[in-house]
Amino acid sequence: MSVAEAEAREVQFEAPAGLWRDAWHRLRHNPSAMVGFALIGLFVFVAVFAPVIAPEDPRTGDLSRLEGTCCPGPSAEHWFGIDQQGRDEFSRVVYGARYSLLIGVVSVAVGLSIGLVLGAIAGYFGGVADSVLMRLMDIMLSIPGLLLAIGIVAMLGPGITQIMVAVGVTQIPIFARLMRGSVLAARENDYVTAARAVGVSRPAILGSHILPNAMSPVIVQATLALATAIIDVAGLGFLGLGPQDPATPEWGTMLTDTTRYLQTAPHLALIPGIAIVISVLGFNLVGDGLREALDPKFRGRA
Amino acid sequence: MLRFVIRRLLLLVPILLGLSILVFAWIRALPGGPAEALLGERLTPESRAQIEEQYGLDDPVFVQYWRYVKTTVVDRDLGTSINTRRPVSEELKERFPATIELAVAAMLFAMVLGVPLGYVAAKRYGGPIDQASLVVSLLGVSMPIFFLAILLKYIFAIKLGLLPTVGRMSVLIDIEHPTNFYVLDAIIAGNPEALWDVIKHLILPAIALGSIPLAIVARITRAATLDVQNEDYVRTARAKGLPPRTVDVRHIFRNALLPIATIIGLQTGLLLSGAVLTETVFAWPGMGTWLVEAIDNRNYPVLQGGILFVSLVFVMVNLVVDLSYALINPRIRVS
Amino acid sequence: MKLSRLWFVFPLALVALAFAAAGCGGSSKSDSSSSAGGELVFGTASDPVALDGALVSDGESLRPIDQMFEGLVTLKEGTTEVVPALATSWKADAAGTSWTFDLRENVKFHDGTEFNADAVCFNFDRWYNFKGPFQQQSATYYWQTVFGGFSDKKTPSLYKSCEATDDHTVVINLTKPSASFLGALALTNFTIASPEALQKYGADKGSVDEETGFKPTGSYATQHPTGTGPFKFVSWTRGDRLVMEKNDDYWGDKAKLDRLIFRPISDNAARLQALQSGEIEGYDLVEPQDVKTIEGDDSLQILDRPAFNVGYVTINQKVSPFDKIEVRQAVAAGLDREAVVKNFYGGRGEVAKAFMPPSLEGYAEDVQTYPYDPAKAKSLLQKAGVQMPLKVDFWYPTDISRPYMPDPKRNFEAFAASLNKSGFKVVPHSAPWSPDYLGRVDEGTAGHLNLIGWTGDFADPDNFIGVFFQSFSPQFGFRNPELFNLLDQGEAEPDEAKREDIYKQANRLIMDFLPAVPYAHSKPALGFRADVEGYEPSPTTNESFAPVSIGGGD
Repeated sequence: MSVAEAEAREVQFEAPAGLWRDAWHRLRHNPSAMVGFALIGLFVFVAVFAPVIAPEDPRTGDLSRLEGTCCPGPSAEHWFGIDQQGRDEFSRVVYGARYSLLIGVVSVAVGLSIGLVLGAIAGYFGGVADSVLMRLMDIMLSIPGLLLAIGIVAMLGPGITQIMVAVGVTQIPIFARLMRGSVLAARENDYVTAARAVGVSRPAILGSHILPNAMSPVIVQATLALATAIIDVAGLGFLGLGPQDPATPEWGTMLTDTTRYLQTAPHLALIPGIAIVISVLGFNLVGDGLREALDPKFRGRA
Repeated sequence: MLRFVIRRLLLLVPILLGLSILVFAWIRALPGGPAEALLGERLTPESRAQIEEQYGLDDPVFVQYWRYVKTTVVDRDLGTSINTRRPVSEELKERFPATIELAVAAMLFAMVLGVPLGYVAAKRYGGPIDQASLVVSLLGVSMPIFFLAILLKYIFAIKLGLLPTVGRMSVLIDIEHPTNFYVLDAIIAGNPEALWDVIKHLILPAIALGSIPLAIVARITRAATLDVQNEDYVRTARAKGLPPRTVDVRHIFRNALLPIATIIGLQTGLLLSGAVLTETVFAWPGMGTWLVEAIDNRNYPVLQGGILFVSLVFVMVNLVVDLSYALINPRIRVS
Repeated sequence: MKLSRLWFVFPLALVALAFAAAGCGGSSKSDSSSSAGGELVFGTASDPVALDGALVSDGESLRPIDQMFEGLVTLKEGTTEVVPALATSWKADAAGTSWTFDLRENVKFHDGTEFNADAVCFNFDRWYNFKGPFQQQSATYYWQTVFGGFSDKKTPSLYKSCEATDDHTVVINLTKPSASFLGALALTNFTIASPEALQKYGADKGSVDEETGFKPTGSYATQHPTGTGPFKFVSWTRGDRLVMEKNDDYWGDKAKLDRLIFRPISDNAARLQALQSGEIEGYDLVEPQDVKTIEGDDSLQILDRPAFNVGYVTINQKVSPFDKIEVRQAVAAGLDREAVVKNFYGGRGEVAKAFMPPSLEGYAEDVQTYPYDPAKAKSLLQKAGVQMPLKVDFWYPTDISRPYMPDPKRNFEAFAASLNKSGFKVVPHSAPWSPDYLGRVDEGTAGHLNLIGWTGDFADPDNFIGVFFQSFSPQFGFRNPELFNLLDQGEAEPDEAKREDIYKQANRLIMDFLPAVPYAHSKPALGFRADVEGYEPSPTTNESFAPVSIGGGD
């Protein structure tokens, strides 16, 4: 085996494994990232086990609990109080986690999958494909995020699926650009050139060199995108564009009706809002931690 | 440098083209078809025929598109609002200054608080201020703007009664509105009471809207300061014996300015989107509430005109930012 | 070098300054209401459409028009009793078709022109001669409800002609006798405007949009409304404020306030906050949950408006199987009206048994009632032979709060829940109140069930059940000749006692036939600063600001 071959082999092994192990180590010792994991864990746990955790059905209310006003605040039987239809607010917030998790994950999945494919194509093949795709992304990015989502919902009509699609579509350009950048950078990298020189095939290069390195910013971005997705979906819900059945316990929609009760029943507005903040905070903390852990610039620093 | 400017300007063409095509296609894709969308739900056969003739809906798509571009760009006709039956462009002129004023106030808030915060956090890396700045940044991006707006309103307006809850100005004060930028109007009118009143109305919405830019500006400043701090030329300058403050001002700030300038451009998009949510909570009579009402009422002409206009502004701002970025950073000009 | 130190002191100082000054600035709220005379700011829900009583029908247009204009007669403050206004006395001839009015002397319009019989006839004839688009319901609803048709005789009209026999005597000729004509003249829509101003400023210029109403192109209805009332017009900036000032030449008790300003604040919570901070001195339609907040605040007060409305659930019989009586009875049995009224109206609502408030003559205590009973509802549906659960399209309006329906969505959710327990499957639909929702309800395209209601305009049973059920309407989609005839009879019957009997009978018939399900009468509430005196709420919302004053000090 020639020296070049041996070196290429070595290089081939170094890139992926070392990166991940390093990153995980760093992440484990990052206290805020750990807090983030805990928060995410809580969020997912509540979402998954909602039927077990929630004492009541979030859609059925008992009007007699209202005693003629709106609305009784937190108490021993109802930890988060009662909402304006006599429903248990705690159950609603718990089930709301399901909606936020589902909508967030699906939107990011849509944006990520389409964006990655487009970005990889643009980055790897370059030329006309690159120009056209990137111009398309520029055009999409020229409309501010929420407005683009609103435009899409205006076209499709309001509803849960529609806002998932809308938020997903707004995420596409970000992932596409990211992927393209990573692919481009990786393509020019020394070890890739070396691997090509030695004769490693194109798909193999893509698979074992370019993609793993390109993935790290994508993973960071995906985590952060989940955070944004949850907020954007809540925003669309707040504007009344979300689930059209008012009984649906989606956090953003739960916030729309409550501003009129701010004086008499502030818990109805404050609690779902805090739930959103906690969940989003978790994803942001982890995303930041991942970014620090995976960023080569930070290697060697405290 | 010139090549960069030209290239950047040329980029404008496909973007504007694409944007107009996108909006045009969007109108065609609206439920019910363009005639329904532009006139309102229950249109009579006569008005439908009129719209079809006016927009030439029987003509081939390209002709329609060309006519659309012509009326929008040349005639500056953005259609008529379904609800108020007034020209969209007229309402736009009334609504836009309100949002701009709010956005500028929010940006000011973000910069005035964020830059010093980030700088100090970086200088005292790891200390309590640094930790605090990180917490503030994180909360800023993790909190939905409308929730922050509701919280601020609840604490400062309802519970403490310190600041007004809605609108741009108290009804008790009477001034002329030549510019429709209330701060300027109050200054022009030479009325300090009015000026103070306008500012009071701006505070809470500006904080709510500026929370995310604040978080980002603080972080960027912190990161930029940290980066530059450790650069060789800074160390050299210090080694030469220059007092630390001079070093900071001369080197760190100038280089931190770069990412901050970029951020302003990126923030515009956030500010314009965020305005939609913030204005709703504070009943601020700007683009945001205008668009939200349009969504509820399926007032497509307003939606189309508003989104198009806002996107145009966004594209322009990005252009300016890109060009000034090139001005500040010589390295870009060459590449 | 000192600069960098200043860097972080500066913003902190700015923030501190802002809050300190905000605290000081807050004291300005107490100087807003100092002098008697002075200025009162009233928060309205929206801008008026136009300031011409003949061409509008919405409450927020009628409110300022009420202050600036007067009719031949009016209602006694806080009641539904007809008393003189611009006419000092009146009598009908033996046939009941010719009414002679003696007009008040020495009255001038705000532009200085004389108020006289010619002016009265000018106004009546103007209304009678409205053509084309002005004949749409969205413009001249009230003329059509009271008088019917116009001069083009496409439909018969109650109005025949107007004669000015001398400067201060006017005779109005009707085509047939009418019992409700006089009370109707108290409506704001029949107030008298200055003929000179009407002509000079192009009052008849404009278009009428089917949905949004009158769109004036002349400046009369936006900048020069000219009446005889205690307030006169100063200025109007849409979306900002409508300013009126005291009419010093008013013939009667002059207004106590110097200026009256209406400010549109569309968000209800915002109106409450503006009241609490003193930015406005009063507003209408306080939401039920806010009533306690205002009552608990010493600096504020609640004024009750007598209940004169009804909230109901329309049943559109055009669509099967709602044409079956059992299905309609099942709907009634499936609506938990008691729970809704008890809990959502802040203690200010009562469950409605019929389509008229109990205070109105013709109310029948012994109508058929339908207590909430899900099991019964299911068995009724079974009897009707429909498949359960029966899918039902149920509509509710958004962006609106009405006295009989303060939070439509809330009512909807509760009703939907109780219907779902009673053998139905509710499919929710919503639309913004104006123009979509109202238009749909009127045309009968708002599903099988929809939430709507009515506030009475004048104290006459015809104004409630006559309006709804006297003839076929797409909203309800039924033809019931027995009911139609009965209501026709009631409208024309001159004898009071007989009339009352007829309406009682009609009410029983209606509640048996069940074209819709009434559920609430409510006492709307107005909120004012505690030092505002003299405002007299009226059941029909005909309220004058003339006797209102702001007491000195707190």
